[in-house]
Order: sequence, then C-alpha cells, then structure tokens
Amino acid sequence: MGRGRFLRGEVKPGYGGPKGSTLTTGACADSEPQIRNGRDDSFLLPGKMEKLRAAQYACSLLGHALQRRGASPDLQKQIQQLESHLSLGRKLLRLGNSADALESAKRAVHLSDVVLRFCITVSHLNRALYFACDNVLWAGKSGLAPRVDQEKWTQRSFRYYLFSLIMNLSRDAYEIRLLMEQESSACNRRLKGSAGGVPGGLETGGPGGPGSPGRGLPQLALKFRLQVLLLARVLRGHPPLLLDVVRNACDLFIPLDKLGLCRCGPGIVGLCGLVSSILSLLTLIYPWLRLKP
Amino acid sequence: MDTFIRFANQTQGRDRLFRATQYTCMLLRYLLEPKADKDVLMKLKKLESSVSTGRKWFRLGNVVHAVQATEQSIHATDLVPRFCLTLANLNRVVYFICDTVLWVKNVGLASGINKDKWQMWAARHYYYFLLLSLARDLYEISLQMAQVTHERAKGGKSSSGDPLGHSVADEMEWLQSFLLLFRSLKRHPPLLLDTVKNFCDILIPLDQLGIYKTNAGVIGFGGLVSSVAGIITVVYPHMKLKTC
Repeated sequence: MGRGRFLRGEVKPGYGGPKGSTLTTGACADSEPQIRNGRDDSFLLPGKMEKLRAAQYACSLLGHALQRRGASPDLQKQIQQLESHLSLGRKLLRLGNSADALESAKRAVHLSDVVLRFCITVSHLNRALYFACDNVLWAGKSGLAPRVDQEKWTQRSFRYYLFSLIMNLSRDAYEIRLLMEQESSACNRRLKGSAGGVPGGLETGGPGGPGSPGRGLPQLALKFRLQVLLLARVLRGHPPLLLDVVRNACDLFIPLDKLGLCRCGPGIVGLCGLVSSILSLLTLIYPWLRLKP
Repeated sequence: MDTFIRFANQTQGRDRLFRATQYTCMLLRYLLEPKADKDVLMKLKKLESSVSTGRKWFRLGNVVHAVQATEQSIHATDLVPRFCLTLANLNRVVYFICDTVLWVKNVGLASGINKDKWQMWAARHYYYFLLLSLARDLYEISLQMAQVTHERAKGGKSSSGDPLGHSVADEMEWLQSFLLLFRSLKRHPPLLLDTVKNFCDILIPLDQLGIYKTNAGVIGFGGLVSSVAGIITVVYPHMKLKTC
C-alpha cells in the first residue's frame, strides 16, 4: 500500500510524464514484446509492486537526506520527480487491487475463530475502500476526472488505510495474547511437574498476600517484567507474527503523518515505508515468513 | 469474477489489460476524431499516455527475463526454431536495454540521452525480434501443412485429375493451399494465436521505422488484437506456443 502523496504545485492534474516525455503519439505506441516463459508468474506481481513501493520510499528518504545536507536543487528536483513518477505509476498498477481485497474479505468470512474473522474481514474491507479512493485519485491526477478534490480523497484514502492497519494490529495483538496464554500455561505445567508447584505460579508473579501494600509496586514491576519476557519469548518463537507486527507498526506512521495525527516528518515516513516494503519482500521470497491465514 | 481477479493478479495479465486499454484508446481516438468532442479526445489521449507511462514500470527488469528466455531457446530441439528463437530473444534483450535507457531519460534521471536515436534502435530490434518470431511461426506452419498433406495422402485422398484444363487447376491449387493452411492452423491453435500476435505487433515497428506507414487506427486495432491474444494465452496457458 502506498502513501499516494503528490507534491503540491509539482504535479498538476493531467500529469502524465515530465516535460518532453513521450505522450503516445499516433505511431509511437508502446511496443512491448511479451515475455513468453511458460511459468506461472502470479507471485511476480506482488514482488514488483513491493519493489516499486520500496523504491518510492527510498526516494522520499533520499530526498529528505539530500535536503538536510543542502544538496544541489537540481538533484533534489530529479529525486522528487522520480518519486512522483513512482507514485503515479503505482496508482495505475494498483487499479485491480480493490476487487482483490474484496475477494480476500469474502474468503476471510469463513475463518473459524470469531476475533480473527472480524479483524481480517474488516481490514480487507477497509483496504478495498482505500484502493477505491486511490483509483479515484489516479483518475484525477491522470486527467480523466479533473474535478476530483485531491485533498479530500487523499484524506479519505488514508483514513481507510489507518483503519485497516489498526485492524491488522488488533489481530496481531490477539494472536500474541493467545500465544502468551499458551506459553504461560505450558510454563506452569512444567514448573508444577518439576517442583511440586510454586506458590502463585507465573500469573501472579511471585508471593505476596493481599494484606501487604508495601510490596505492591515491586510486585507490579516484577509482573510487568515477566510479561515483557514472555512477550519477547513468544515473538522470538514466531517470526511470521513478529514480522507482521513490525510491518504494521512501521506502516502506521504513514497515515498518522498524512492525517496530521502524528507529524513525524518525511524522513521517518520514508524510512518506515522502506522498512515495511523490505519486510513484505522478505515474506514473498520466504513464504514461511508469511502470517497465516 | 474469481477467474478475472486471478488473471488480473498476474503481472502479465494485468499488463495485457493495460495494453489492451492503451490500444483501444488509440483506436477510439482515430475513429472518433472527425465527430467527437475535443474534451473526449483529450481524455482518451491522457488515459492512453498515463497507461503507457505506467506500464513502463512493469517492464523494468524484463532484460533479465529476456536473457532467461534466450537461454531456454538455445535448448530447442529443432534447428530452425532454435536459430530463429535464440536470435529473436537476443534482439529482445537489446530492445529491453534500449527501453530501460529511454525510461531513464523519461523520468529525468539522465539528460544527455538522445531519445530519437534510442527510440529508433529500440524499434529496430523489436522489429527484428518480431520478424524472427514470424519466421519461426512460418516454419512451424509449413511443418503442420506437410503433416496434414501426408496424413491425407495416407488416408487415400489423392489429388484428383484435371479434366477441365490448366487455368482451373491453378485456381484449385491456390484454394487447396489455402484450405491446407486453414486446416493446419485449426489443428494447432497456439500456433495460430502466436502468428496473429506477431503479425499484429509487427505493424507497430513497421510504422515507426517508416517501412510501411499506416495510421493510428490500424495500429490501435492491431495492438488491441495482439493484446487480446496475449490475454487468451494468460487465461489459458495451454494456448501458449511452447519452445520445444
């Protein structure tokens, strides 16, 4: 998913390329020999899209770094142009994604776990709406619908994107919670089995009766520490979940910045976008890293 | 709906759809030019150009695929297809290199590139690629025709005598060859599809290089037909002509 950011004043509605580029004239045409290798390249599209996304955020990060170091305005302009090309190009290439997200939502409705079913379905639905807004933005930017209010639709699209990410993170939190409970009860069983039972066990975090207020804070601190250790253990043992959490957390900065809820600056947004794109590419290259369902 | 989504989720599928859209716009512009509103024509042109520009992103990295295809074609069993396909794929590699250079120029990363020169080179190598692919198709068609003739001869249907004289025999021969061609292609739909695709595609560089100038309508129609043929090979993979 992308930022859909356009540079105000740089990209005008109807922009299809830089000055002097080929608008396809009658005979020029985009003559492309087809790739005729017999293999199924269904995995190549997500890969290509993620690489383009990574390139876009890398440009954003690079542009910000160049600005900070006072690089030549020509070079900065080149990077900005490349970034806007990438943004518009990605919008076009994403034109089919809305239907795909709806199909994913339809499939998610059949999941057995209620919480997962809710979180994943709502996330896909929000994604579908995000892509639909993105399509409208593309129509506006490419000149097909010049009266589109870019600002309004950009805000709308980022709102849906934010909701989708919140649902993803809720799902991750739910999975982590389940795994932590599993892990904690497994540990308890092991402790009970090995040493005739430890009073209190892992849940309470240690001894301490109800009538000892002086011990409250250290007990809480210990309990908190144990929970953190348990969380670390769970995430270490489940790389797909860890990857998904980090990816969603990084992605969260993008709509938060665009909607003005948490102004982190183009550098942070670029870095987070780049990191999340790289992690997505990893899940494509190593399918076992993908969180199922 | 599910098939369509699966199709659109493949790189080739989505690219073929965009290509079909691009050439449909070109064709529509040509057809509507005398009568339509300037606004509509402008929108068609904008759609065509933004789809064309966007598709270039799909093409980045195709040099690698073309090199792989060249390696594959070296292992073709028959001599003529091996020769034709290997040379064709080599030309395609050069075409994609030229295309990447043009893309670098278009996005503004390098200014010192002579766009016209590189466009001519790209068109020329694409033309050679299509010529060699057509040569391979014609070779396969001739093989199929020979096979059909052989099977018919075995079946005892010998060519009839000629009681009516030479001129009628000439016409019969022409008709027979045509029917033979038709039957051969009907037996081998992937070959028909590939031939039609290459034939429609070659109109583009023929126009660009000035060898056979047509108009936007013909090119648009040819591009649309070849894109539809490409879509068929993506939806039905068994319709793709194999390198064997």
